[in-house]
Amino acid sequence: MLYRSSLRYLTRHPWLMGLSVLGVALGVAVVVSIDLANSSAGRAFELSAETVTGTATHQVTGAAGALPDSVYRTLRMEAGVRPSAPVVEGYASVEGDERTFQVVGIDPFADAPFRPYLGTGPGGDVDLGTFMTQDAALLSAPTADEVGVTAGDTLRVDVEGTQHSVVVGGRIEPQDERTRRALANLLVVDVSTAQALFDRQGQLSRVDLILPSDDAEQTTALERIRAVLPEGTRLQRAEARTQAVEQMTRAFDLNLTALSLLALVVGAFLIYNTMTFSIVQRRGLIGRLRALGVTRRQIFGLVLGEAALLGAVGTGLGVLLGIVLASGLVHLLAQTINDLYFVVEVSALTITPWIVVKGGLLGLGTTIAAAIPPAREATNAPVSTVLRRSTQEASVQAMAPRLALAGALLGALSGTVLALTSQGIIVSYVALLGLLVAAALLTPWAVMGLARAARPLLGRLFGVIGRMAARGVVTSLSRTGVAIAALMVAVAATIGVGLMIDSFRGTVEDWLTQSLQADVYVQPPSEVFRRSTATLDSTVAARLRAVDGVASAYSVRRAAVEADVGPTDLVAIEPGPETEDVYRLKSGPPETAWPQLQNGSAVFVSEPYAYRHDLAVGDTVRLQTDRGAQALPIAAVYYDYGSDLGVVMMSRTAYTQFYDDRGVSGLAFYAEEERDVDALIADMRAAVGGLQDVLIRSNRALRETSLKVFDRTFTITTVLRLLALVVAFIGVLSALMALVLEREREMGVLRATGMTPPQVGGYVTLQTGLMGAIAGVLSLPLGYVLAYVLVFVINKRSFGWTLQLNVPPDVLLQALGLAVGAALLAGLYPAWKMAQSSPATALRDE
Amino acid sequence: MSAPLLRLDDVTKTYREGDAERAVLRGLSLTIEPGAFVVLMGRSGAGKSTLLNLVSGIDLPTSGRITVDGTELTELSETERTLFRRENIGFVFQSFNLISTLTVAENVLLPLELSGTATGQARERAQAVLAHVGLGDRGDSFPDRLSGGEQQRVAVARALAHDPLFVLADEPTGNLDYETGQQVLTLLGDLVRDTDTTLLVATHDRSVLDRADRTLTLHDGTLHDRLPDFLSPDDRRAAEGAAADA
Repeated sequence: MLYRSSLRYLTRHPWLMGLSVLGVALGVAVVVSIDLANSSAGRAFELSAETVTGTATHQVTGAAGALPDSVYRTLRMEAGVRPSAPVVEGYASVEGDERTFQVVGIDPFADAPFRPYLGTGPGGDVDLGTFMTQDAALLSAPTADEVGVTAGDTLRVDVEGTQHSVVVGGRIEPQDERTRRALANLLVVDVSTAQALFDRQGQLSRVDLILPSDDAEQTTALERIRAVLPEGTRLQRAEARTQAVEQMTRAFDLNLTALSLLALVVGAFLIYNTMTFSIVQRRGLIGRLRALGVTRRQIFGLVLGEAALLGAVGTGLGVLLGIVLASGLVHLLAQTINDLYFVVEVSALTITPWIVVKGGLLGLGTTIAAAIPPAREATNAPVSTVLRRSTQEASVQAMAPRLALAGALLGALSGTVLALTSQGIIVSYVALLGLLVAAALLTPWAVMGLARAARPLLGRLFGVIGRMAARGVVTSLSRTGVAIAALMVAVAATIGVGLMIDSFRGTVEDWLTQSLQADVYVQPPSEVFRRSTATLDSTVAARLRAVDGVASAYSVRRAAVEADVGPTDLVAIEPGPETEDVYRLKSGPPETAWPQLQNGSAVFVSEPYAYRHDLAVGDTVRLQTDRGAQALPIAAVYYDYGSDLGVVMMSRTAYTQFYDDRGVSGLAFYAEEERDVDALIADMRAAVGGLQDVLIRSNRALRETSLKVFDRTFTITTVLRLLALVVAFIGVLSALMALVLEREREMGVLRATGMTPPQVGGYVTLQTGLMGAIAGVLSLPLGYVLAYVLVFVINKRSFGWTLQLNVPPDVLLQALGLAVGAALLAGLYPAWKMAQSSPATALRDE
Repeated sequence: MSAPLLRLDDVTKTYREGDAERAVLRGLSLTIEPGAFVVLMGRSGAGKSTLLNLVSGIDLPTSGRITVDGTELTELSETERTLFRRENIGFVFQSFNLISTLTVAENVLLPLELSGTATGQARERAQAVLAHVGLGDRGDSFPDRLSGGEQQRVAVARALAHDPLFVLADEPTGNLDYETGQQVLTLLGDLVRDTDTTLLVATHDRSVLDRADRTLTLHDGTLHDRLPDFLSPDDRRAAEGAAADA
């Protein structure tokens, strides 16, 4: 019977119930969607890695991503390692399709044990004659249908700006859904075709091996292989590479997850608000139930049962909504990963039961946790039939200073944790959450102060309605306090994240201005914007250098190499007279560091690299080179915002000395004085017409492109910010609806006393506006603190960057406008409802 | 004889309950003279509050006409009725219904503030009325700091501060103990007599009968100019004596 009564209460307040369910649903949806998007991107990468790796247990790789194909011959002939298979891989785009394809070059005779699904083995479907003698490619049957090609058709393929034609040599029929997804973006060619496509004659990406699973036999095999491998090559377990790549996005994923949890925290405020309201409204009823013999435990169970019901419905909806949201977010996420880290094509969401269960438990757990304080309050309801609301509010007001003190202590503790611990992103986020909760605890006390301060001003401006509005915020503190806290946290998060992005952008803009001093930049198109290792065609490079009006040209080479600390991006530069102005050193004496870099006796590392691997000037970094492992001293640490993975920089002289690679990834040109840069670019384009389709850009255009990519990588963050704000908006709406419900009588009296409907509307609007203004004012310092922590603690610990905190006044004004706007918008319906309410109905209980 | 302050012509009020219609008031006709102290009695649910709501213009009758001081309320719009009420009606409720967000003085001034006529003179009057109800020194307190009796005295002051034509009191002693209730009734009675304000009190409280000029009884949806059947002989004698004096 108790539960029936409880259910009736909920169904009689559909608005409140609906809003709290929506709040939980949105909070859960955001968390689930980010989790799904992250894991889908991760799974897509794993699938494609597993597909390409096949059954290989080990791999032999070269120092700078390339391996002479003689190594393969040596392994087979001298060491007798079989099964072994050569692989050349890279990325390409296909005309008429937006996907980025992974191109895998294989030897069909050696490959069958590794990738049997390709059908290249005996009895397979592939016509090996065509496959090996022509430039032929295999692709999965569904993909071929999507692209609209059949066997024998010609496929136009673009590799780093150079166009090639390959013949469709056959279709691979996937045996199951997993293989279908794994093969969706795969283009399989013969090794020699791949070498031609990627301009890597005589080179392989790696050699795949299947070694015995028995430990002793494997050890013997490994020893035999190591004995024949030339210097600079590396033998490692097959999964090691995949894991290393996945490690790249760890901090990025963690930050996104933390941001998604913010929406859930705001959602928790909403649940707390709803449950508190439902208890306060029913205190009399609960008192009567207690008088009739219902125990405290039963009351506690009743309230938690209600919360569990709301939580279960909200969570269920949230998971469904999360899946819908994830299908949009996953593309944004994949775009960001493609811009920053590695190529990944996500064709479908990977919905695992664990993600759904995790989201469900999180939503339900948060709901129940948020309902515990109101449930405890309910059990403390006096056994009585009458209880005055004013007594309850008076106790909340009396408690406000104590809450504020608790908030101040929690804030101090969180601040201390942030200041004293030097590592650990999770600890930092927990401390950040502590700061948010501390601010929420301080809110009721601050609301009382601010509302009291606003009362005379509002009284002067709006008369009695203004004074009522101000005091109403204080007399309903148990309601307004939580709503204001929820809005404040959401707006503060918006300010914090907004200032962080602005500061980051400002720093990157300054850095780009300093870094991009040449007049024209040329590079081949690359699949990963920030880590371009594409090679500029040597003819193109030579023709560009010879264009009339070029004063000087400097090359840059990016390569992915192995270091003792793991995969490392290496940058080789040709230092010129301007170079010292281009790079700003964070540590290391410039007068000795630059000569050391130039003569190849030392390297520089970027700030994120030094932070990631705990390196400093004077330390050494051990790089795998074609001449074996080289220990190179670090002469300087320099500021670089191009990659959060960090880079090692060496001179081109040193690079040539240590690596066989002679390619360049990009060229920077200084124009002769008086030479018009736009005209120079036009001449350069004309000079390389018909060759590799390279990007020739002025420094201004490159800066704009870089900033565009920067903005794109923060799109997902902005989406999450907005979602947190939507949840907060619902919180304010729900709190105002609660106020409307319980003030019906008071409104009836006011209407009976002569307040017109527009005056009632004005009164509610003024009060909601004041609530928004208070939330806005309180969110400013909290937002600044959040920005400070994000810029100087979280960002530093996640990526190692030094950023300049930039606080433009318009961001703060926007936040204030946002808070007031959100509150006013949320107040529209309650104001209308109150204005429309019939005083006769409200006073009927008289 | 002066023109009646209130006139009800064949007033009916029905409510819809599901598919059925329930008539609370059926064809009421009534006139009340200015300055009269009228008590409205009747059992719970007889429609006393509904009648007060109609007289104040809070609610409209299903049929019939209601005229207050020559203004036909049934012809006015919602806003016009609100403005009319603001100017001419004072309310006293059973559970005081002071506005918790306003001080005592502000509660008393509320009707004047709403109409924008809270002049210096009006403020002085509000303060005087407050002093008259014995709470001149509590103007800056908030309602939740006052006892029930004090709150009802503030409500009386609020009802009279803007010098209305009519004060409507709905069970004004319902939430008070006997002694406090009597004090409030005395205060209310004295104030309306002093200011020649018309008072209509809906109540179960028999002790009010000896103060009234006239007693009306609502029974079965109709109005009777007589004492209710449930009165004791003593109450009946007291009420008849008071009416004869008037």
